[in-house]
Amino acid sequence: MSLEFAELASDEQIAAAAAALEYNGIRSLLAATGADARRLVGSLLTGGAEVYNNTSQTLQAIGVADDIERSGRYQPLRLRLYRMDREMQRREMRSLAASPDYVVGSVHALTEGGSLLIASASGSQLGPLVSGAGHVILVIGAQKIVPDVAAGMRRIYEYCYPLEDARAQGAYGVPSGVNNILIINKVLAPDRVTAIIVKERLGF
Amino acid sequence: MSMFDYDARPVTPLPVLVGTTASRGAYAIRDFLSRNGYPFEWVDASQPEAVRAVLGVAEVEPSALPLCILPDGSRLASATVEQVAAGLGMIAAPSRSEYDLAIVGAGPAGLGAAVNAASEGLRTVVVEAVAPGGQAGTTSMIENLLGFPNGISGSELATRAVVQARRFGAELLLARPLVGVSADGPGYVAGLSDGTLVRGRAVLFASGVEWRRLDVPGIDNLLGAGVYYGAGPSEALACTGSQVVVVGGGNSAGQAVVRFSRYAQQVTLLVRGRDLGASMSQYLIDQLSGIPNVEVRVRTQVVGLEADDRLRTVIVRSGDSTEPARLPADALFICIGGTPRTDGAAGIALAANTAGYLLTGRDGAREPGSNWPLPREPLPLETNRPGVFAAGDVRCGSVKRCSAAIGEGSMAVALIHRRLAEVGGD
Repeated sequence: MSLEFAELASDEQIAAAAAALEYNGIRSLLAATGADARRLVGSLLTGGAEVYNNTSQTLQAIGVADDIERSGRYQPLRLRLYRMDREMQRREMRSLAASPDYVVGSVHALTEGGSLLIASASGSQLGPLVSGAGHVILVIGAQKIVPDVAAGMRRIYEYCYPLEDARAQGAYGVPSGVNNILIINKVLAPDRVTAIIVKERLGF
Repeated sequence: MSMFDYDARPVTPLPVLVGTTASRGAYAIRDFLSRNGYPFEWVDASQPEAVRAVLGVAEVEPSALPLCILPDGSRLASATVEQVAAGLGMIAAPSRSEYDLAIVGAGPAGLGAAVNAASEGLRTVVVEAVAPGGQAGTTSMIENLLGFPNGISGSELATRAVVQARRFGAELLLARPLVGVSADGPGYVAGLSDGTLVRGRAVLFASGVEWRRLDVPGIDNLLGAGVYYGAGPSEALACTGSQVVVVGGGNSAGQAVVRFSRYAQQVTLLVRGRDLGASMSQYLIDQLSGIPNVEVRVRTQVVGLEADDRLRTVIVRSGDSTEPARLPADALFICIGGTPRTDGAAGIALAANTAGYLLTGRDGAREPGSNWPLPREPLPLETNRPGVFAAGDVRCGSVKRCSAAIGEGSMAVALIHRRLAEVGGD
């Protein structure tokens, strides 16, 4: 496993990535700490909205997953989906998961040129990020910033995948896989996607 | 961010319920959480490794069961529904001292009324004994509701209706049954089981019906231990590969059969009448006939049960046969008829027919002893007490269909406006 991808980016790299995100149509916000990022996410979400929180070590670490699933301020779709009957309500599950008001998650790499890279074993989380969700909020630890897309791909395969595979084996008893990769280079809808860069090592 | 995300499992801790599959108390909590849409983990106390995984020890003192571990880690031994509901923050106090409309029951009629009343500016509160959705809330798939060409599950309909009602400002007070209603000037005061009082200038009874009890020796001892009233949505997964018997000839019974057929090895529907056509929608009859692991037995009644620590066999008698037959059964779901839920209404002496269904409109005023006090006639859906209305399955003459109940709830709101204008302030 290459530890170069666990290193926090410099202030200059963070600034470059943030500016590039803005240029690419992605609103970028900076947070000094995870607690600050948590407050920012809270300020962006609308009370009562349907919110889907992607499985994310980052969101769990800073308390955002708790805020979404337990605060009562939102309609947490994970809880609603989890209790559905997979035999009888598969169609309802599909449409609910595909089009939340907000999806909150993270990424596996952010390039200094403002591209976002997200890998997925199932692919289920990619559709809402690209177009299904009304709004997308991504919380990104500054160790995920890489020079370019090629480095981002290396980060996914050499660093994220081994850690994620171990997590999936422990949590589900099955291997993970880099089965789908989403690269967001530019967003056309204004203010649809917000990236919060946190100057801390969060998630992997 | 995780790459593995296809089970949608919540990432924060869920309540964990440890109990035995033969426990009535454990079933009551499973049923309550399931019907309220509250995800939880079930741990069978007879499985040492599963118990060790959540408690750190392989065995639990039987007297501590059912045991509920709340998301904050605190434990409720010998847990009850009320304790679990309170521990999970499901008990809310009313925010107002008085409401324009107090609705009893959060089934389709009650929620239909709540959405319409709140959207029109009425201060609205709904009190519900168990969970939103009523009997329809346990229905696996409603396929004849306008606007849902692919059907909608009862639980999803209830979830959406609750969100809609709350968005318009209606309040829902859950998990506490109504214990009494009394007159309070031109309005009424409703008392809940925990002592909460709710004042309403008008009251709508949309309390629905509860399942009629099956008169079979020993059945009460098996409640939650293989015998269940209603469609038992919390039990569907547990029925995987098992033998299931459903009793009833209505749509609820038919929908329960469809759901359980997806999990069970065999589902047998027992119907007292000669055919299903008199009480079940044709689309459901057609569905049942096409499911290979479903058998429908008409002119058949349950006459006995055999059990050890839980149900094992259902004994039935069919047609003119004098010889009973024995059906191996892991679970028996009883979805027959209904008894109107009017317990809390005794204090204001609402007129009802001999079966207990509430009389409304001219029918109520004509009933001997109804004591209708006003020179005008009761409004349609108004009981023999001015300002007290009834809608949905609890009302005498109602059509026992989800869409009809929603319609009655909506219609009641228009009539309640007239009543509120009469007493001033609308």
